Amino acid sequence: MRNIIVRVIARVIIPFIQLYGFYVVFHGHLSPGGGFAGGTIIAASLILYVLAFGLVAEEKRVPERIAQIIESLGAIVYVVIGLVGVLVGAQFLGNKIAGFPLGVPGRILSSGSILILTIAIGFKVASTMITLFNHLIEDEKEG
Amino acid sequence: MIVNNLPALIVVVPLFGTYLTLMLGVKHRKSSSKIALVSTGLLVVFTGFLAAMVAKNGEVFYHFGGWNPPWGIEFVIDRISAFFLLIVSSIGFLIVVFGSGTLESEVKPKIIHYYYALFLVLIASLIAISASNDIFNIYVFLEISSVAAAALVAVQGNKLSIEASVKYLILSTLGSGAFLFAIANIYMVTGHLNLSFIASKLPEAFSLYPLNVLASLGLVLVGLTIKAALYPLHVWLPDAHGSAPTTSSAILSGLVVKVYIIVFIKIIFRVLPPEYLNKVPLEFSLLLMSTLGIFIGSILAMRQKDIKKMLAYSTVAQVGYIFLGIGLLTYNGLIGSLLHILNHAIMKSMLFLSAGIIIKLTGRRRVDSLNGIGRVYPLPMIAFSLGALSMVGIPPLNGFVSKWYLGLGALDGGQVFYVIVLLVSSFLNGLYYLPIVIRAFFGPDSGIQKPESLSVGVSLSLIILSVSTVFFGFFSSIPLEYLAPAVSALFGL
Repeated sequence: MRNIIVRVIARVIIPFIQLYGFYVVFHGHLSPGGGFAGGTIIAASLILYVLAFGLVAEEKRVPERIAQIIESLGAIVYVVIGLVGVLVGAQFLGNKIAGFPLGVPGRILSSGSILILTIAIGFKVASTMITLFNHLIEDEKEG
Repeated sequence: MIVNNLPALIVVVPLFGTYLTLMLGVKHRKSSSKIALVSTGLLVVFTGFLAAMVAKNGEVFYHFGGWNPPWGIEFVIDRISAFFLLIVSSIGFLIVVFGSGTLESEVKPKIIHYYYALFLVLIASLIAISASNDIFNIYVFLEISSVAAAALVAVQGNKLSIEASVKYLILSTLGSGAFLFAIANIYMVTGHLNLSFIASKLPEAFSLYPLNVLASLGLVLVGLTIKAALYPLHVWLPDAHGSAPTTSSAILSGLVVKVYIIVFIKIIFRVLPPEYLNKVPLEFSLLLMSTLGIFIGSILAMRQKDIKKMLAYSTVAQVGYIFLGIGLLTYNGLIGSLLHILNHAIMKSMLFLSAGIIIKLTGRRRVDSLNGIGRVYPLPMIAFSLGALSMVGIPPLNGFVSKWYLGLGALDGGQVFYVIVLLVSSFLNGLYYLPIVIRAFFGPDSGIQKPESLSVGVSLSLIILSVSTVFFGFFSSIPLEYLAPAVSALFGL
């Protein structure tokens, strides 16, 4: 895959893919998509990076250890946001009843806890996808 | 604050533990067993408290995020689910206590935090399945449990365990698929996913679309019996439970196959209107499958040379007992099968744990190579013998009590044939369990000179399990009185 065309094109489109991924994540509460879809798109950009520049270069950008920590952190943030509802005396994963400000419908900073949850899911899914892909490649190298 | 949210916290605590182990495990692998101990220990406290609450105030309802059903996800904890939750958390805790002493020898140290994470996520899914009142929520956690369980089988990474795990994964996915198809059918005819709402709409739906309801019942039956390994859908179980690491075998045999039975009981008795129970050929198919399972499971167990394989086939027979009690459709039968869920969870996890520690200490897996082991390692072998005797159904032990109620249930239904089935199968159990006990204590010398000492966790968990085998034999009235109101409500008594 050490092709100059692939590298140049990848270098050009990766930022746009990531931007689109972040767009999908941050508009999870407003438009189709959300944490899972956006996280997958962000991970797809990283996978493209691996394909174009190799695993070693990618490992420098996103070390596996960091990816694993982000993966768990995403889930932990989800649980903690859910627990806010318990702490204020409402139910687990409560949104308005747990005191999250709902904001103006249609704005990005609205919908209370849903936006935070979507971002947490986005990070979790992106890092899970990239670790899965790295493991698959590593196996291929060993075999 | 905490008390009101207990139904959510019992799922959140192990899930939180899962991701904490994964995160801290990157740097501190040693911390994972402590996190598992703390979170399962907390679970025991929480579920115990919840069980007491249910006994005092009746069913506990919990609506996630404050959204009321049928829109939101609802957890309903009645006496039956509280009973099972307490079993899951206590047996899970004891298995973690056991594993803290031995797991390093069976699982590579590099992946030990993954193992604990899988274990905790499996516990979380078992708890959510038994507490949830939303059928789609149940399905999601069923999938989590089957993926986690298959991974727990494959964790050793050798050829046998990976083959067993893939087989398990394929068959349990088939089961999940059948269950999902059933959910789709039910949702189509009733318009609800909440079990209570389905129950209220089902009589009308049954008269309008009898075929859809019957098909979905059949799919539920097939899907859940594949996962619970009822004969002849048990083919994945012996390999999976036989080749997994000790602690995995214990949780798979002791708890995981039971949770599907709890779902089955929920759907059959709480959702299906009682007058329809006799209109579907449920009784016939359950009784046939469980009778065959009891006999063929025992006969196949007798032929096994490997001790863990033997225990795994014995689980096939014991699952047969539990379904027999459900299929009888009598009060005492259902009580018997619920008691057997408890008793088999205790016995089988104890048998797998003690067999595992014996294999680890002596390196002997073959049934006929265990001569004299009981004199070298008394504690694991005494625990094994107690479990074995209880499996056979020797009176003061807990296995006798559940068989007694199954027998009573068969007599209530006027089906004396199944009492004979129970008696003959107890005899068959004796045929393969007792020779091991006799060999271990009275056989020729083992040739092991210096016995290794057991770690504290191993001894502690084996002692607690042995004591509870005897305890629930003498004080079987405790679970009985706890379950009686719920079961009589199911039968409208």
